[in-house]
Amino acid sequence: MTDGALRARLIPAGLVWTLVRTDFKARYHGTIGGFVWALLKPMSMFVVLMGVFSFLFASNPTYKLNLIVGLFLWDFFAEGTKSGLTSLHARGYLLTKARVPPWVLVVTSISNAVITLAVFSVVIAIFLVGASHPPTPAALAAFGAYCVAMMAIVIGFSLGASVLFLRYRDLNQVWEVVLQAGFFIAPIIYPLGILPERFHFYLYVWPPTPVIEFSRAALVAGVMPTTRGHLYLAGDAVFCLLAGMVIFRLLSPRAAEYV
Amino acid sequence: MSLIEVDAVSKAFWIPSVHRETVREHLLGVFEPRRFERLQVLDGVSFDVRRGEGLGIMGRNGSGKSTLLKIVSGVYLPDRGRVSTRAAITPVLELGVGWNPELDAVDNVLLIGSVMGLTLKEIRASLDEILVFAELERFANLKLKHYSSGMSERLGYAVAFKAVREVLVLDEIFAVGDAGFKARCERRYRELRSLGHTAIIVSHDPRIIATFCERALLLDGGRVMVEGTARTVADQYVAMLTQASREVSSATSPS
Repeated sequence: MTDGALRARLIPAGLVWTLVRTDFKARYHGTIGGFVWALLKPMSMFVVLMGVFSFLFASNPTYKLNLIVGLFLWDFFAEGTKSGLTSLHARGYLLTKARVPPWVLVVTSISNAVITLAVFSVVIAIFLVGASHPPTPAALAAFGAYCVAMMAIVIGFSLGASVLFLRYRDLNQVWEVVLQAGFFIAPIIYPLGILPERFHFYLYVWPPTPVIEFSRAALVAGVMPTTRGHLYLAGDAVFCLLAGMVIFRLLSPRAAEYV
Repeated sequence: MSLIEVDAVSKAFWIPSVHRETVREHLLGVFEPRRFERLQVLDGVSFDVRRGEGLGIMGRNGSGKSTLLKIVSGVYLPDRGRVSTRAAITPVLELGVGWNPELDAVDNVLLIGSVMGLTLKEIRASLDEILVFAELERFANLKLKHYSSGMSERLGYAVAFKAVREVLVLDEIFAVGDAGFKARCERRYRELRSLGHTAIIVSHDPRIIATFCERALLLDGGRVMVEGTARTVADQYVAMLTQASREVSSATSPS
């Protein structure tokens, strides 16, 4: 094998950077103003929901903080999975023209959601400090780990769904419906505690729930979830990632034929 | 030594009697099974490409040329057979389609160049050269959705000719642009070949194959009908077309 052939099999950092950059430019028209619009969507939702529901949960002094943590993590999950689901189709013009590893197209498609999450993490930290709940380094580290778990879930979903979307072109609409229901299944606008405990297990099956609940516990309540809880989240993330990888491995070799 | 070995490659597509592309269509049609027709596009194709040579592939529409190029380039997988490559391949397939219309020429050059294996440094260093080659310096910051198909295709050639690694795979080369642009493409192609690059060219034009390749294949019905010197294969292709044309004329002429 020649040097060129060996080089062609490596994933150059330049390719990853270009895919991230072009995705950002195409989505936000290459302007910071365009990106601000993306930030405004969950921010405006936060303002509206806080205005309405803070009356309902007036007795809960941390409701606003819990709401903002939940909303921002949900936004990452929803935007990341939506982008990931259509990623291979959206970049089909690359898939059918060159020998590019399809998984790179999928993974880099969630970069915008990751950038938004990073910005939101700063916003969350500002809110926490402003509300006299400055997060401890341990809480920040735990939050970082939960974000990584959420990323693994989003990547796993994206890998599996992106190849299925090439075969079933209305999966994005199906997923929109699931997300709409999922927004209310995850305890974002309501505290989990208002539901009978026997339902909690079922809510935790929905992957965003443990990430949101654990992040709130660490950042807002200052309480670390149990080891069992952490193991559940880690298992959940690994399962989603592996399931997505298996589906992707089975279907991606012929992905270009379905674009 | 062979850089590319294609060994008994076969490829078929299954064409359904009814296309179902959505979950809804699949659910509604669960009790209406579809029939599938097997379309054998390639059937036991074997050949090799040696270092530094130009190999032409000819054949009528539907003979399997483009599918073969996609398999050689690693875009499609063969159903049977094997493709061994010992060199980096730069495929230039269906030019003008492989671009993001929401990005300008510069961003598209960065994107396609990096997909073709160039580093960002290499692309930035040759950006002006690429735009000059494509005669698009004035439109560098115009989004590609405002380009004509000819402008997109010129940009495609300009990037591909810059990004060539070892093997250049070209589908319908030199069918783009005006006489001046074609002449520049031909000059650049000769330059690359003189530097030792290998090329695989698909074309319907006997002149292109006879001029730019040493060896060629003639595909028909997914099989290699003739393999030989480029001139021989180009002549056989013309003879095949003439024969087919006579058959159509005699079938349609009043008796």
